[in-house]
Amino acid sequence: MTTTRREFIKTVGAAIASTKINPEPPANASISPMQQPNPAPAQTSGKRKVIYDQDTAGPFGTDILATLMMLQADNIDLLGITLVTGDAWMKQEMAFTLRLLEMMGRTEIPVYPGAEFPMLNTKEEWQLRQQLYGGHRMDPWMGAFNRAGGGPDEIKPLPPPYDRFAIINAQQDHAARFIAKTVRENPGEVTIYAGGPLTNLALAIALAPDIVPLVPEVVIMGTGFHVFTNTFNIFFDPESARKVLRAAWPKFTIVSVDIAEEVHESDEISPGRAMVDEIAARSQDPISDLFQMYAVEPMRRDPGARLFRMADEMIAAQIIDPGIFTKSETMYVDICTTPGPRYGDSMFWKQNWQDAPDAGVLVNAADRRVFVNPSQFYLGPPPSAGLANLLLELDHDRFKKLFVDLMTKPIRKA
Amino acid sequence: MQPPSDLLAHSSMFTPAPQNSLPAAGKKKVIYDQDHRGPLSTDTSATLMLLQADNIDLLGICTVTCDMWAKQETAYALRLLELMGRPEVPVFMGAQEPLLNTKAEAQMRYQMFGSRTLGNEGYLGSFAKDAGGRDDLSPLPPPYNRFAQIKAQPETAADFIVRTIRANPGEVTMYCGGPMTNLALAVMLAPDIVPITKEVIFMGGGIHHSTSSVNVYFDAEAAKIGFRAGLAAGAGWPKFTLVTTDLAEEVHMQDDGKVDVIVDRAHFPIADLFREYEQKPQRANPLRQSFRMPDEMMAAHVIDPSIFGGFDEMYVDIVTHNDGHYGDTSFWDANWKDKGGELAGQNGPSAKAGRVQVLKNIDKNRFRELFTDLMTRPIHRSKQ
Repeated sequence: MTTTRREFIKTVGAAIASTKINPEPPANASISPMQQPNPAPAQTSGKRKVIYDQDTAGPFGTDILATLMMLQADNIDLLGITLVTGDAWMKQEMAFTLRLLEMMGRTEIPVYPGAEFPMLNTKEEWQLRQQLYGGHRMDPWMGAFNRAGGGPDEIKPLPPPYDRFAIINAQQDHAARFIAKTVRENPGEVTIYAGGPLTNLALAIALAPDIVPLVPEVVIMGTGFHVFTNTFNIFFDPESARKVLRAAWPKFTIVSVDIAEEVHESDEISPGRAMVDEIAARSQDPISDLFQMYAVEPMRRDPGARLFRMADEMIAAQIIDPGIFTKSETMYVDICTTPGPRYGDSMFWKQNWQDAPDAGVLVNAADRRVFVNPSQFYLGPPPSAGLANLLLELDHDRFKKLFVDLMTKPIRKA
Repeated sequence: MQPPSDLLAHSSMFTPAPQNSLPAAGKKKVIYDQDHRGPLSTDTSATLMLLQADNIDLLGICTVTCDMWAKQETAYALRLLELMGRPEVPVFMGAQEPLLNTKAEAQMRYQMFGSRTLGNEGYLGSFAKDAGGRDDLSPLPPPYNRFAQIKAQPETAADFIVRTIRANPGEVTMYCGGPMTNLALAVMLAPDIVPITKEVIFMGGGIHHSTSSVNVYFDAEAAKIGFRAGLAAGAGWPKFTLVTTDLAEEVHMQDDGKVDVIVDRAHFPIADLFREYEQKPQRANPLRQSFRMPDEMMAAHVIDPSIFGGFDEMYVDIVTHNDGHYGDTSFWDANWKDKGGELAGQNGPSAKAGRVQVLKNIDKNRFRELFTDLMTRPIHRSKQ
């Protein structure tokens, strides 16, 4: 039987979750200026236009819950859903997504098939790397590459409450083309939600580099430096992540695993462990059924269960109500693509590293980049590293309140 | 996909290319993907060969950054088509940057690890120190003289490749004379094109002369994707043919006096190109080492494969570690199990190596004849 994320969390998630994450306090305020996240870009319609790129593993989980949040939020104009292999294979994700839209009565939202494979990574090599270098102790999830994960063309029947495949169909166009076309038609207006591996986005900017300055904000989930540095959405396709993180986006926001681990569906943050009971009781179908079957029942069987961290829900929150996040920092970020033990690792550097008292500097001297003051430390990024807005703190209660409100309000109609 | 560029046709000026509109019975359909360095280079010579060959149906020319930036290459390709009277051949400006490699990193690796030690294999193309920026557009020297009036198509090269192979299943030969960036993007967008592509021919990599060449180490990730394409889905390229640096080094442009023959007998603009950019520099500096003929060999294979006496079936894979071996090629014998008898070790390929046919045994006389004939025959202009 396939190991699900939820089962994984039952076994080792609790140990991870008990780690208290304190964002590193700034040693020197001038070195690490804290920035308040910007409000959502102004829209003529008052709604924020969003392309939702996701590895939607069903029947329930962080991918599905974030999808429901975006469908339920009144201030979101969901231009399209694009799918990418990650937590599951793209075709299976497509089956879940189309049927979810039918059940939610939102069949007007177009769904686009995206990358079926990462740029370079393969299941066989991943398994060989694990054996050669050791497995990932903290996040052994391999998504579509799980040993029992099946093949790219294998579409399993959908369990209740999905029950059957959708009647509606996906669009013909590729996700990357849809992204490029939509951003060009709405310059400065389309926020990109990227909840899975960044393959589609990497393809879009390789085909259409001109869209980069036209996107007001990209929000992704992945990377980290305290809980662990190697996170699934990145190490599933490190080359795509590197390409996307290095592009000069006007604003690139990261939900790291550090901040995602702060909130779980089943923890004691208001409204507490009873949250899923409350949602199941107060929400309408199909949300009520989903919570009853995949959250309430499992917790009834195992009262000690830890449900998964609310990772993708935080991307949705940053787009729906960015004020929930109370602190962020702009940092340099890069991804290791050397296929060794650190394949997919994320690395961060201070934006104004040169202000640190012991920092060396690189200067151009006779056409050679020379590191001066060799007795001191070089604290800067590698060439071509990208700049990202790393979310550091959030209002836990407000985040959960937003989540409960969106899940329990009447099902939003097209 | 319509990247804004003054080289591209505006939608009002854009008339769809007459793709497959001409009866081309018996002709080989070719997509020509090239890092089209001007004014004359192995890239340009190969372009001329395919334009001059009677048995080739040139569906389109794609450009890709490597020898030059794609924008400058596109300017050369468009103007060359005008000079050759073939403005109907559509040109698609392809990837302006490799998938991941950057000039800063290429230069940093050079400082840390030094160049590749053999001859031309230290070449960095448009990532060289003084190579200018991707949006620079230098004027075209004689006989080009000015920029073309015809424009590139608004579609990207990758989209064109996908659309064309799907429309002609089993019929299209992909000529990849530069880095495989466009091809990699195409197979990522549409893995289904892999089993329906007739053949891919690529120039790059090597075993004896050098373990790599610029088409590979300029975009190592794209090369890895290109070689491995389709394997994750269970079906690789039906045929992938490779010209290595080992083979390409066997023939150089100035061997056998063919340049003088071409200058004497060829027509405008071919005679002018070879006089200006091969004959004159060679006479000014007799010690000049003219370049090998890798892309001309690919063109020869497309036009008349019998010029090559055979090939070795091999596996190939690419190193993508960001260090001194970035872009190195590794080769394994396809029949490694049969080789070496009891002394055979574990000599098999990497887990996901691609399967290629490495060309060998070039008939140098026939190659010279074909090249000279194509360069000197009358130019059949479709216009002017």
